[in-house]
Amino acid sequence: MVNATLAPESTERAARDRSAGLGVRVRARRRRRQAVVAYLFLAPTLLFYAVFLALPLGFAVLLSTSRWAGFDLGDIDPVGLDNFAGLFADGSTFLAPILTNTLLFALGTVALALAGSVLVATCIDRLRFQGLWRTLYFLPIVTTVVAVGNVWKYMYQPGGLVNGVLNAVGLGSVAFLQDPDTALPSVVVVQAWASVGSAILVLTAGLKSVPESYYEAAALDGAGPVTVFWRITLPLLRPSLLFVCVTQFLTGLQSFALIIVMTKGGPGDATDVAALEMYRQAFSYGDWGTASAAAFVLFAVVLAVTLVQLWLFRRKGEDA
Amino acid sequence: MIRRRFPWLSYLLVVTGAVLTVVPFADMLMTSFKGPDEAGTLPYRFLPRAFDLSNYRAAIHQLDLPVLFRNSVVATATITGSVLLTSSLAGYALAKLRFPGRDFVFRLVLSTMMFPPFLFFIPHFLILVHWPLAGGNDLLGRGGAGLTVSIVALAMPFLVSSFGIFLTRQFMVSIPDEVLEAARMDGAGEFTVWWRIVVPQTKPVLVTLGLLTFVDAWNEYIWALLVSTANPDVMTLPVGIQFLQDYVDPTRTLPIVMAGLVLSVLPVLVLFLLLQKYYIRGVMLSGLK
Repeated sequence: MVNATLAPESTERAARDRSAGLGVRVRARRRRRQAVVAYLFLAPTLLFYAVFLALPLGFAVLLSTSRWAGFDLGDIDPVGLDNFAGLFADGSTFLAPILTNTLLFALGTVALALAGSVLVATCIDRLRFQGLWRTLYFLPIVTTVVAVGNVWKYMYQPGGLVNGVLNAVGLGSVAFLQDPDTALPSVVVVQAWASVGSAILVLTAGLKSVPESYYEAAALDGAGPVTVFWRITLPLLRPSLLFVCVTQFLTGLQSFALIIVMTKGGPGDATDVAALEMYRQAFSYGDWGTASAAAFVLFAVVLAVTLVQLWLFRRKGEDA
Repeated sequence: MIRRRFPWLSYLLVVTGAVLTVVPFADMLMTSFKGPDEAGTLPYRFLPRAFDLSNYRAAIHQLDLPVLFRNSVVATATITGSVLLTSSLAGYALAKLRFPGRDFVFRLVLSTMMFPPFLFFIPHFLILVHWPLAGGNDLLGRGGAGLTVSIVALAMPFLVSSFGIFLTRQFMVSIPDEVLEAARMDGAGEFTVWWRIVVPQTKPVLVTLGLLTFVDAWNEYIWALLVSTANPDVMTLPVGIQFLQDYVDPTRTLPIVMAGLVLSVLPVLVLFLLLQKYYIRGVMLSGLK
């Protein structure tokens, strides 16, 4: 009796153990195979990171602490932090005007693009054909910087469109890009013109998330459009505004393609910015050490802004 | 309702802004039809005297436009194809495969996005110039022009996109595991699962990523300029047109430059207008450009 009841149980357990053991082994084999496949799938990416990320970063650090004429890799002379010291030495143009130009360029772009995009985005939100308007504002973003830069450069000429309009309304011509006082603001206008479309996109998405009931409540209370804008729209738009500000600022700190096309940093160094200086030190003057050091200084600025951005967004997340 | 009270003011503002946005494009188009004595002369005139296509013919010949066009197409197609392939392979591994080191690799991908592109222009250029055993170089990368002699140099630093990996991975996470498991039960290998199930299911995000990559690659200027200074044979459209603008008498060639620009901008504008839904979603996902 006892045997009769035990026997099927024990064989059942034995079978279960066998299949469990088999399962573990099969699963272990499958897991190993999956790991091999996973690294095969990741191989191109990891190889790319090794050659085009890790190696260049190490090379850049090496160059920034070396003097090198640029031909034989065996001739790299370590000089410690001399290149960095040179950037901040008396008489160096790096701190002023180049870094100040960089900050002015980034700040000016943010201010203009933000003002323009807030105005347009809040207005678009009330209109029909919103898709059409957004498409139009978006055109500069998909256009190559060579087209944007050359068209605006031509428009700024004495015989160009901008001066044509100024003359038509009775004003004198302005030498936008030739006058050191107007060159930087003129380039800032173009950069803002080219980036306002994506800011509008982010802001309209932000506006869509404002509940309609808020506006209805405000209407019932008799609030005017200006009050609604300042008291409801703008505060609720704050996350989107912050996002636009920080990302545009970061882009502004790094951009130099537009400046290469339009002014090449001139007249004098009126529109010279840090990334352009890095480019010229390397590829025009062959001073790879100074150029790499300049790149790292700008990177430090960009990194600081990025960290502030992360901190701002994390704090905001905790508030919510 | 309050929001409809002043639509005329809104219309005025939005239309004014839209005109300001479009006018430079219109000026570019109009100038591309002007004669050599019409552009940049006083007084300014918006419309050309006649709409003839001689500048376009000149652009095609003086700029070697077919060669520039071919270089741009080759570089853009290589970059877009490679980014799509590597992103979707790596994205699948990170989203759906279990393996030791997965979290580390994913964090690595995220952290690479923190490095700004300008940091890499110099070392990338030097690495390509000193690439061992290429373009006449010896094993230590000395003596020749390295990989800059080849058109692949235009594409190489852009072949993998960390943002692309992140984007595809986020979309692939939501594919139900049961579907993949069922396919594996039927004997499908991981490559088949990836190609037959995962890739078709993530088509929308791949279109978005492909479009973003295409537009960026087509418009890329600085890197292409660097490679072209080492090897003028691989000039792309933006570089070639800027070269004409910089080194030939600008007052005479301006309308030709504008014609070249119209032709170079056209493919991207058409693509954007056709697929703007995908593109705009991509910009929303990637943040600002």
